[in-house]
Amino acid sequence: MIFDDLRAIQLRCGFLPTAELEGLSQHTQTPLYQIHSVASFYPHFHLAPPAKAEIRVCADMSCHLNGACELRAELERRFAGSRREDVQIRDVSCLGRCDHAPAASINDQIFTGVSAGSAEQIMRSALRGEEVREARPDQARFACKADPYGDGEKYGVLRKVTQSHAWDDVLAQLKVAELRGMGGAGFPTSMKWDLVRKQTDSVKYVVCNADESEPGTIKDRFIMTNLPHLVIEGMIIAGLVTGAKRGILYIRHEYALQEDILSAEIRRCRSAGLLGKKILGSDLDFDLEVFVSPGGYICGEESALIEAIEGHRAEPRNKPPFPGQIGLWQKPTVINNVETFINVPQILARGVDWFVAQGANGSRGLKFVGVSGHAAHPGVFEVPMGTTMREVIFNHAGGIRGGRQLKAFAPSGPSSGYLPASMIDVCLDFKALADAGSMLGSGAIIVCDDTTCMLDMALNAVRFYRNESCGKCVPCRIGSQKMADLLGRWTQGNVPEPQYRSDLALLDDLSQAMSQTSICGLGQIAPAPIQSVLKHFRAEIDAHVLQGQCPSGICFTAASRAGEVQRVGIRP
Amino acid sequence: MTTSVTPPGMIEIGIDGKPVRVPNGTTVFDAARINGISIPTLCHLQNQTPVGVCRLCVVDTGARVLSASCVRPVEPGMKVVTNSEKVLNVRKTLLELLMSDHPSPCARQEKSGDCELEALAKAAGISQPRFAKRSVARGNDDSSLAIAVDHDACILCDRCIRGCDEVKNNFVLGRMGKGYSAGIAFDLNAPMGDSTCISCGECMVSCPTGALTNKGLAGTAIAGGPGAEIFEAEELLQIPVFKGVSGTFLELNRGAIVNRHFRKGEVICREGEFGSTAFYIVEGRAKVSISTPIAHVKTQGGAKGFFNRLTSTLVGREEDKREEEARDRTIPIDASVDLSYGNPVAELGPGDLFGEMTCMNFYPRSATVIAESDVVAYEMLRNVLDIMLKNKTFRAQLDETYRRRALENHLRGVPMFADLSPEFIGHLKEGVELQRFAPGQAIVQQGEPADSFYLVRIGFVKVSENYPGGEMVLAYLSRGDYFGEIGLLGGGVRTATCTALDHVELVRVSGDDFRDMVARFPSVRTGLEAVAAERRAANQQRLQMVHSVPIDQFLSQGLMEAQSLLILDLQNCTRCDACVNACADAHDGVTRLVRDGLRFDRYLVATSCRQCRDPLCMVGCPVGSIRRRNSLEVIIEDWCIGCGLCARNCPYGNINLHPFEVLADDPENAGRKKAVIKQKATSCDLCTHLKEPSCVYACPHDAAHRVDPKAFFGEMLSQGGAK
Repeated sequence: MIFDDLRAIQLRCGFLPTAELEGLSQHTQTPLYQIHSVASFYPHFHLAPPAKAEIRVCADMSCHLNGACELRAELERRFAGSRREDVQIRDVSCLGRCDHAPAASINDQIFTGVSAGSAEQIMRSALRGEEVREARPDQARFACKADPYGDGEKYGVLRKVTQSHAWDDVLAQLKVAELRGMGGAGFPTSMKWDLVRKQTDSVKYVVCNADESEPGTIKDRFIMTNLPHLVIEGMIIAGLVTGAKRGILYIRHEYALQEDILSAEIRRCRSAGLLGKKILGSDLDFDLEVFVSPGGYICGEESALIEAIEGHRAEPRNKPPFPGQIGLWQKPTVINNVETFINVPQILARGVDWFVAQGANGSRGLKFVGVSGHAAHPGVFEVPMGTTMREVIFNHAGGIRGGRQLKAFAPSGPSSGYLPASMIDVCLDFKALADAGSMLGSGAIIVCDDTTCMLDMALNAVRFYRNESCGKCVPCRIGSQKMADLLGRWTQGNVPEPQYRSDLALLDDLSQAMSQTSICGLGQIAPAPIQSVLKHFRAEIDAHVLQGQCPSGICFTAASRAGEVQRVGIRP
Repeated sequence: MTTSVTPPGMIEIGIDGKPVRVPNGTTVFDAARINGISIPTLCHLQNQTPVGVCRLCVVDTGARVLSASCVRPVEPGMKVVTNSEKVLNVRKTLLELLMSDHPSPCARQEKSGDCELEALAKAAGISQPRFAKRSVARGNDDSSLAIAVDHDACILCDRCIRGCDEVKNNFVLGRMGKGYSAGIAFDLNAPMGDSTCISCGECMVSCPTGALTNKGLAGTAIAGGPGAEIFEAEELLQIPVFKGVSGTFLELNRGAIVNRHFRKGEVICREGEFGSTAFYIVEGRAKVSISTPIAHVKTQGGAKGFFNRLTSTLVGREEDKREEEARDRTIPIDASVDLSYGNPVAELGPGDLFGEMTCMNFYPRSATVIAESDVVAYEMLRNVLDIMLKNKTFRAQLDETYRRRALENHLRGVPMFADLSPEFIGHLKEGVELQRFAPGQAIVQQGEPADSFYLVRIGFVKVSENYPGGEMVLAYLSRGDYFGEIGLLGGGVRTATCTALDHVELVRVSGDDFRDMVARFPSVRTGLEAVAAERRAANQQRLQMVHSVPIDQFLSQGLMEAQSLLILDLQNCTRCDACVNACADAHDGVTRLVRDGLRFDRYLVATSCRQCRDPLCMVGCPVGSIRRRNSLEVIIEDWCIGCGLCARNCPYGNINLHPFEVLADDPENAGRKKAVIKQKATSCDLCTHLKEPSCVYACPHDAAHRVDPKAFFGEMLSQGGAK
């Protein structure tokens, strides 16, 4: 596999030297351009020697709300005058540590709750040539309501279905339960599985999408840490139901701990006869492997993820055909989110009635949500589907930090847009949030207190999409940049009113073109944050653009003018 | 709507309200096209797999979002709208996005007015895109001889990439980077000219904008001489060596290759002339020779008395033997054969290419070629030769001819290799690799592991060493020279960097073969070791000097380059001109010394050959006749053809051409001779026929000195004498 080869070279040389890539090209009979096209696509690979101490500060929503800009500015001050080959300070997209913001990666090791002092200390030790290692605290596993097994014997559902072979019954139960995908799109799981099951190919695949990279999304990390056996059981059942014999668990490379936990669980399953040939003595085969992502938010898009597994640039495919028909290696592929898979054994072990009863306000099942930003107790919480946002934010996450007022919240990262505090009673449910002009998404709740500038947050979100666009299609590649340019101009203030009016019209045209013509969800959803802010916080935008005033006192400060604190903005 | 039943395998859909019936598997784009409904696109070409990236071909199929019609298969009952306001609006926005970053008018629009993006933008009524322009330019790549790359005009439509990889299977082009900074890249993002691109032209003819354009859109035609027929692209494509080249590309280069017919006895090209074409013989035989007398300028007589008029004459090698005779048994020329020194005539036949150096590097013709029978030859310009040289079939054929005809001579031309057994030469002939390098490309890097030995076949190689403050040129190597032995015999590490100065072709002997050779032939080893030791010692000496002298000012005047300087101490000099007169007297009345030049402190550095460290004069000599003796003196060998390139190359104006009247074959009357004026280059010879340089001898004020600059100025600088 090309990524394994590239990783091996990078491990040996610290980066990917040209001569090594030429050797790889000859050795593997791969054209040079193919190697370069992937090596230059994934942020994980360095084409030039990295600095001795390279810090990348997470720039996205939760870390942004928790002083990432100030941290970066302070580090730049402290390391002013350092040579490029010694120190590099850059930013990075969401590292999946939103509950311990701000996060930073130093020499590819991830640190949380970083302060300028702690980061400086680690970087100085790296400069002395000491190895940087991230902390791996031993955590006791949380007992979750979602676990049907508790302390007892696990994999009960798998044992049952390998005996009964009641595949149709499994599909029927999932259908009655109305289980939907938990990764964001909410597609009915039974329909997806049924589609793959009906394909006549002898080779099929099951893929678990554990590449959660949407800013604020940390629930899959929690699930994989605490319920790894349910993830694996769900995948095996998907394989048995659909006739796939091979599963791939695609995990983001920033989740090294979870990779270890899952690999250990897979080894346990193999030795217990739950994975491999003739599962539990039946005539059923299924095996599973972990695939570590070479990085990038776009890899969470299912067809881009498939491209990545195939060793290509993670560029989303045109659809149709969908992965259920033509997926990994052109074969029918079930691809589901981590949380979707763990719902399967829950429903099958306890029955549909139990599942229905778990929800609140007419919804079904349990939901894991991550709460971050200005929450008093950020973290991952297991709540009934249908719980109100008020309850999640104020009861579970302890309300707003420092006793401040709630100003806005994003129900699911930048993709869901921002809703004002007045909509706090909206329920955590597919339909309720869609009706509110937002989405349930991946349950990445980000809380903003009353000191937050909403134009700043909209620009932060647009820049995230711009940075993470794969560049394949025109609307997303160029549109996200032009949108960031336009909002960037607004943050400078004092735009004449006729210009502002034509800017607004242009923004609408651009939003329409991006959401209607982009190949995948990334470009389609990129206009959502600014559109939601224009809808709910229009006066605040007007004040910025027309009067050069920031009601939150964030923009137009001396520090932000001097560029010391790049409050607005990530990459120049 | 028709009421008839749709036949099996056919699907009926509606496009803009019109019912159409197409085969299952057809895309919406094709269904519309077949039925006369045109949908705009930039990324789709009929001969390539659709990719759906420009999104201009979006249509409304009633789904949540619009669909790119080029990748959307038809489905029964589908209702497609291609021209609603919504569709037209988003298409316009997409064009505006593209145009905001487009360098309008791009190279293509400017040259031929057919940039597809600009045409679509114009049709959509876009004059001034409302979006901000790209803030940082992505730049140009001018490294390919045939194709210009303007990354700013690239819209990443993927057409070139599919053309290269899918249509032509050349596998050179791909996408690089991500998001807004994504772009196209050759190999590992190499400049196009240095990449493995074979200049087939497919990317360029696939490109919708001015991102990849043909460099020779104007003025590429060879002026049609007598008997010149211009080839049409279709004719060229019938010729095996043009297999794989894009027909459109050949059309764009129409006139850059012509079919020439030469009658028996006709001169095809003449030595010393400048040219820009190469010839490929298809039929007939031609004689290649050097017609200038093989001799050098020699001042006769010596100091015989003040009134004795001195004369310069031409003398040959027989009469005036020089040292290192073994070195030059063959004269390298710009063809697949070398000329023997004793009888500088050879024959060329079908399949031979000559004039490659002239064509690629613009050097003067190295020899005269005369048709011995009626000859048919293709004459081509650099853009076409470049295509052919990169073409796999043609390249293989040329390499084969070279291996068969010249490689053995070439290998034996290395003095140390004279003792190799015929079997081993045979083994080498099979085993060596023929390599090509573009101007500026590094062949070996100082400090790298040494794994091969190289012979120069075509072009000039600069050998340099890094030292604090810059690089020091150790030598220029040309045809017949070799390098790489020091690293292989020594510590296994390259001691110098070798860079291609121009279009360079090398014969590479692998490290294994080399080690095998020195093990089996001890005399080869001894010889190579002696040369290596000599080279190392000379380099060491130079570097010591570099470290011992404060050199910034020294360097800035180019004095560093000199091995031997004529300096005039201006405190003593009375400007009496005795030195200049003495030089004229010693050299046939033509002085080789001008009392003018750079000043360094109180010394005038007169213009006379400095025997430079970096002898630029040697670069480009088409017959390799200017060279350095072991005594460092720069000499001009007897077979100088008088082209004058060295005189133009000398930055100090110290090489002159001397006219001589000689008898030569009369081209109009075969078999008869006629008097013609020939030139020979001369430079300061340090008056080797005298006891000391006559200028120094003649100075009555002790102001003229020939000095070694490093010793002379080094001492002065270290004493703080220089102001």
